[in-house]
Amino acid sequence: MRAAVLPLLFMCAAAIAAPAQTCRQADGGHGDAVAVAAAVRDLRSLLSESQRTALDKPLTYDSAIQWSNLPIGVVPRTGLRLGDLDPRQTAAARKLFEAALSACGLKLLDEVRLADDWLTTYDKRPIGWNGGNYYLTVLGEAGAKSPWMLQVGGHHLAYNFTFNGHLPGATPLFFGSEPIRFEVKGVAYQPLDAQSSAMSKLAAAIATRAGARLSGTFTDVVKGVVVSGVPGKMTGGIDTGFPQSYPAGTEDRGVQVGALDPAQRQLAREALESFASFPGSAISAPLLAAYLEPKAFEATYVGYAGDPALGTKGSYIRIDGPRAWMELVVQPAIAHPKELHYHALWRDKQSDYGGEIRH
Amino acid sequence: MRRAGCAALLALFSAGAVTHPAPNSMLKLDFGASGVRAEYWVPVSELAYARAADPRGGGFADYLLRHVAAESPGGAPWRVSVAGVREATYAEHAYLVADLSLLPPAGVSPRAFVLLDDAVTHEVRNHVVYVVARRDAGPTLLGLLQYPTRRLEVAAP
Repeated sequence: MRAAVLPLLFMCAAAIAAPAQTCRQADGGHGDAVAVAAAVRDLRSLLSESQRTALDKPLTYDSAIQWSNLPIGVVPRTGLRLGDLDPRQTAAARKLFEAALSACGLKLLDEVRLADDWLTTYDKRPIGWNGGNYYLTVLGEAGAKSPWMLQVGGHHLAYNFTFNGHLPGATPLFFGSEPIRFEVKGVAYQPLDAQSSAMSKLAAAIATRAGARLSGTFTDVVKGVVVSGVPGKMTGGIDTGFPQSYPAGTEDRGVQVGALDPAQRQLAREALESFASFPGSAISAPLLAAYLEPKAFEATYVGYAGDPALGTKGSYIRIDGPRAWMELVVQPAIAHPKELHYHALWRDKQSDYGGEIRH
Repeated sequence: MRRAGCAALLALFSAGAVTHPAPNSMLKLDFGASGVRAEYWVPVSELAYARAADPRGGGFADYLLRHVAAESPGGAPWRVSVAGVREATYAEHAYLVADLSLLPPAGVSPRAFVLLDDAVTHEVRNHVVYVVARRDAGPTLLGLLQYPTRRLEVAAP
C-alpha cells in the first residue's frame, strides 16, 4: 500500500505545484499515434511474457467494451496492472501516459488514483480501492497506420483512445471522483475541479431559461456502463450498452447554445473544452473543432437537473450536441454514504472507439 | 444485444461485494406451455423516485400493473397479474420482488411477446431494466429497457 502511494504522491505533488489548470489548454503530451506507439514499444520491451499477454488484446468489440466505473472487486480487469510494475516499467508507463495525455489528462489520472489510495484507509471492504488497481491495455498492434486502441483505467477512470481509426477516437471517456475533495499530507486535491466548476457555472447561467431544466431523476450518468446486481449470478458494469441511442427531436434536451447570450455561450464552450481536454491535442483537437464548428455548436443542447451548484445528490448537467455527449452527475459516496461523489462521461455519438468497433 | 454483454453479465462476483448507488432492475422470464412467469426485482431506492412521480396510490402490485403490460406481436393484449410481492436484500440494496403472470390470448403462442414496461424508467433516466430468460444453463439476456424506450420484443431463446 505504502509502495503504491509514494510514487503517486510524488507525481501529484509535481502536478499540484503547477499553476491551476483550466483544462482548456492542451499542454502536455501531443497524443500523436507514432509517438504513443513508440512509448508502447518501449514499455513492452521491459515486460515479461506474462505481462505482455496481459497488455495485449485484440481490437474487437468484446475487448473494447471492457471498461467500467466500478472497482475491481466488482468488475475485475485483465490488463497490465500498474501497481505490479517495477520502477523501470513504471517509468516507461509514465512516458507512455505523458505521450498520450494532456497535462490535464495526466493530472486526472494521478489524482483519481490517489483518491482510490485515500479510500483504502477508510473503507476496508474488499472492493478493490487502490491506486495500484489501474490497468493498461493495448488493443491491436500499436503502430502508425493500422487502427489500435490504448486503454488506461480503473475504478474512476476509463481512457479509451483510438489511433489511426476511421474517426478521431477519444471516447468513451469516463471519469469520476470519490471523494470529491481530499487532502494528503497537507496537499488538497479535487480531481474534477475544472470540469465540475465549468459545468456548474454553465448550469447556473442557464437555470432561469425556459427548457433548461431536464425532466426526470438522475442517479447516475445516463449513457454509462450498465450495472446489474440482482441475484442470479449476473452482473455487468461494462459498456454493453454500446452502441448507444441518443435523444432526438427538441423535447426535454435543455436549451440550445444558439439561444444563449455570448457570456453563456462562452461558459458552454469552456465546459465542453474541460471535458475534451484530457487526451493529447492530436486526439482532442479534431473533436473539439467538430463540436465548436458554428452550426454544430449552436445546435448543441445544454440542460441540467437538481442543483446547478452540484451540492445535492441527483444534480446533473449535460451537453448534448450533434456529436458531443457530456454528462456529470452527483451521487452519494460509497465509502462515506453521507458524502457525495461525481461521475462524468464523455461520449462521441459518431466516433466512440474511433468508429472501429462494431457489434 | 449482445453476446459480449451476456458473457460479461455472466461473470461472477460475490454477493454483497459492494453497493452501487444506482441499482438497476431485473425481469426474469420463465417461458411455459401456456404463459410466462416473471420475477421482477425492482430496487426500492430507484422505485421511490418513480412512485413519487406517479402518486396515484395503491400498493406495489397496483403500481406495477399500471406500468407493466404485455401484448402479442400483432398487438393483442396479454393478461398480466401479480401473484405476490416480497421484500429482499441483495448487495446491500433493498428490493421489492414481484411474481408476475403473463398470459396470452387463447390460441396465441406464449413464446414471443412485446413487453411494455416503464415502472422505474418513466422517471429515472439512467435506470436500466435487464430482461432475461431463465434457463437451466443460466440466464440469457434478452434485452434492456431504458428511458425513453418502454417497449421490448422478447422471444424464448
